[in-house]
Order: sequence, then structure tokens, then C-alpha cells
Amino acid sequence: MSKIMTVDVLSSIKGAQPSEAVNKLFDVIKNAQPTNNNSFNNNRNNYVSLNDLRDDVVIESSTIEKQIIIENFPKEKGGYLVVSKVIEE
Amino acid sequence: MDSQIHKIHQQLADKKISCAALVQQKLTALKENTNNTVNSLLDDLALQLAVKVDAKIAKGESIGLLEGIPFGIKDVYMVQGTYTTASSNLLKNYKSAYTATAIQKLLDAGAIPIVKENCDSFGHGSSSENTIFGAVKNANNPDLVGGGSSGGSAVNVAKDYTVFSIGGDTGGSVRQPAGYNHVYGLKPTYGRISRYGLMAYASSTDCVGPIAKSVEDIRIVLNVMSGKDIKDQTTYASAEISKDSISNSEGIKTIGYFKNFIENDAIDSKIKADFLATIEKIKAKGIEVKELDFFKSDILVSTYYTLAMAETASNLSRLDGSNYGNRIEDKNLKESYAITRSENFSEETKRRIVGGNQVLSQGFSDEIYLKGLTLRDAISENFEKDFKEVDIILSPVTPGTPPKIGDSLKDPHAMYLSDAYTVGFSLGQLPTLTIPQGTETGLQITAAKNNDELVLKFANFLKDMI
Repeated sequence: MSKIMTVDVLSSIKGAQPSEAVNKLFDVIKNAQPTNNNSFNNNRNNYVSLNDLRDDVVIESSTIEKQIIIENFPKEKGGYLVVSKVIEE
Repeated sequence: MDSQIHKIHQQLADKKISCAALVQQKLTALKENTNNTVNSLLDDLALQLAVKVDAKIAKGESIGLLEGIPFGIKDVYMVQGTYTTASSNLLKNYKSAYTATAIQKLLDAGAIPIVKENCDSFGHGSSSENTIFGAVKNANNPDLVGGGSSGGSAVNVAKDYTVFSIGGDTGGSVRQPAGYNHVYGLKPTYGRISRYGLMAYASSTDCVGPIAKSVEDIRIVLNVMSGKDIKDQTTYASAEISKDSISNSEGIKTIGYFKNFIENDAIDSKIKADFLATIEKIKAKGIEVKELDFFKSDILVSTYYTLAMAETASNLSRLDGSNYGNRIEDKNLKESYAITRSENFSEETKRRIVGGNQVLSQGFSDEIYLKGLTLRDAISENFEKDFKEVDIILSPVTPGTPPKIGDSLKDPHAMYLSDAYTVGFSLGQLPTLTIPQGTETGLQITAAKNNDELVLKFANFLKDMI
């Protein structure tokens, strides 16, 4: 199943088109000649060692945090937070 | 410029001024200002905190160095209960549910937040014109831009509306406005300060950065905000930088500068001449100066923007109006997402999201995104090689002087190219400080990773020398 998605669909922005200003930047990269070719084969990436992973714990949000999250929700009806209608394709 | 923090601290401790009067004076100045630096004032919170500081002093208790010092916050940081808009339509009514780690550390030290500051929307820009709150006007000439993206923060510091401000630097967003407004602005080593609670633009280069009027104030604020944070796993533990350790230039024997930054047609002739004159003064002090080879400016800018756009397309995909934000309803969920994003993002933000999705798409990712990552590694390798030869790299902050308000919006490609001297150090995750000396838009001092101390040390040396 191959479906071509255009940038407006990928970006969820109606009528979006690639821009000339940005394409000029990409052309420079296409034409560049990097001296090495093994981008992940080095120690410069910001990884976290296995010994340093944080514990997988549930942290209860404070009352005020919960209140603000609800306040930020765009739509409320009869005490329920309302999302847009979901359709299955 | 001496430490404002020490000066105000002493005045408060000696009861020469009250904290409430100080905070009120700053709030009034911010309210009346015509440079468009304010997104929202934190009047109630600030005055409540100020009264507490005054009560403590009245009881004869001692106060900490940052206690009662008014500061500003770029409007991309979470501060619980305050509006955090990222200067965007999408989040114009959004309230932070929690507080960013860096800001919390300042609050814990007693500093008083007084303003959420204007900036380019989501950090997308180099002029602070890409904002729903009106273009930020330069502190020295209101016809010119304030720089960006942390333009409001730099102008507030320059105008003394805040004692210091906390900006965010992804590709130069602290250093460039600092240069445009003649103040100090630091991008620390990536990971030195927690990004938790900083709205993500490009996560692999986003840095929390202080803006102030002296090296000493930068040092104080940097020390407070630094440190490992479990909520940002890219952070690392760092030692405090003492005042004494940066008071002389011992250990700095050799500096370098990138020949191709200076020998090109894009640089303003006065900035070039002033930069070279500074180099001569440094040589006269017995410091060896080496000319270094570096990547061409267009490669640096293109590599940075390719990666930053890919990361911002991913980071901003969460902004769809479902759980928060200015949702616009349409016939179904997908259409609601699309109309919400189309209507609420600025043209520049949309340009970057679309660019990011382009390079992450099948057929483009190998040719552009992965090649960008390879180039980034080559750039980092180049820095590692350079710092075996020199202690410090000195460079101009910008090729030109601040543009007139309106010009950058007309030519986005020219705006991207104006970041030529700042983005390389972001890709290298290096500590870099703008100082308001040496050229019309200042100088950048860069050291090897984790060596923020050396940057401040050299800044102190130049302060007395230029």
C-alpha cells in the first residue's frame, strides 16, 4: 500500500507549499561534499547511558497543575472536555 | 559595565531602596516602554514577592545575592500560572501548568520574575518581527530591529527594564540580539542548563541563555541555573565558576579566528576592520593568534536550518488544538488539526514546518537530512581539531549591522544567511558569549565543550583591554 502524502498533508497545514527560500538552503546541502560519511559512527551524539536512565515512576501532578491543564482545554460541555469528531477512513 | 546584581543587592541590604519600590519602578518602565518588549507583565506575583523580601530585610535577616533582583523571561518558558504564548496566535491564551527548571532555580534563589518577553514566534526568526505582539524595536535606534529571537529580552536588559533576562538560543537567538543591543549574552555548553520547561524548537541545539550587562552578572545567573536535571536527560553536572577563577587571563596563550568569516564579501567593511583591529590589540598583549580554516558560511547556515527545521516540524506537531491552544473546529478531527494550524501559525513557522517535513520525507531524507547530520559531525570534528591548537575562538557576531524593521520579513533567505557566524557554534554545542565590544554588533568568544569558565575569563580580559 503506497500512498503519496504531500507536504500540506504531512504538515497538517492547508495549501502548504515548499518555499524557494528554504529550497535554496537544501540545494547547498545536496551539493556539499562532506569529508566523512559515517554520521552515527562517533561519540558526539547525546545519548544517556543505561546506568543513568531515570526510574520509571508515576508522579502525581499537583492540584493546581491539573486545574490549569483543564483550564487550557479548548472546549468543555456539561462538565466534559470535548474533542473534535473522529472519523475512520 | 559593573555588576548590577551586586549593586542592587547592596542597596537593598543597606535599606537604601525598598524591593517593592524597585519592582514597581521596573514594572512602570516596562508598561510605558515603546519598544514592544512585553508580552505580559507579572505585576501581582512580582509585587507579592517584593513585599516578602522587604519584610525579611526589615526583620534584620540577611538576603541572598539574587533575592529581590527583578528579571525578565522570554515568553517560551513555563512559569506556573502565567501566560506562555511563544508570541503565537496558537498559544495566545495558554497558561503554563508547571515551571521550567532553570526558572525555578532562579525563583528558589529569590529572584523576582517581572515580565514575559516578546520574541520571534517559537524562536523562529532573527529579528523579533515574527510575533503577534508587534516588532521589537532596537534599544539604540527604534527604526532598527531588536534582533532575535530573544529580542525583547536583550532590549529590556539594554534599557535597564530588567536587571537580567533569560533568553533561549538555538542558532544564535541570545547572542545576536545581545550584539544588536550592546549587552552580554551567553549560550552555555549544550546540556549545562536544563531545557525542561523551555518550549522546544530544535531540541539538539536548544539552550537556556542569560542576558545581562556584565560578565559578573552572567556568571552569577549561569551558576544558579546550571546542573543535572532528571527531567532533561541531556544535562550534565558542572562545577560552579568562581569569581576568582575568571579574574585573570592565565592559561590563555593562543586564540584563533576563522579566516573565511573575515575574508568574504558579505561582511560589513567596518565590522571587518574593527574585528581585525581587535586581533592586533590581542597580539600586542603577547597572545598568539592563529588563522583557522572553517566551513563556508552557506554550508553552516544550510546544515543548521535543515536540522532545525526537521526538529521543529517534529516538535510542533503536538500543537494541533486538541488538548490546548486556539482550536478551530471543522467537520472532523483531521480537518480541525489542519485549519487550527493553518490559521494560527505564522508564515515563518509554517515555512519551517513544511521545510522540516520535506527533508524528513522518503526520497529526501538521505539526500538532505542524513547528509546534514554528516556535515554536522564534520563541523564538530573540525572544532575538536581547532581546540587542540587554540584555547579560544574569536569571531564577529553578525556579518552586518541590525536591519531596518520590515526588511527581514521581505527576504527570509537573507535573514537565514545573517546567522552565518552563530549557527556553527550551536551545531558544535559549544559555549559562546557575545560581548558588547570590538565591533558594532560585538564579538563572540567560544571555547571547547564544557569550558564555559574559559569563555568568561577571556571576556574579563577583553573588557579591560579593548
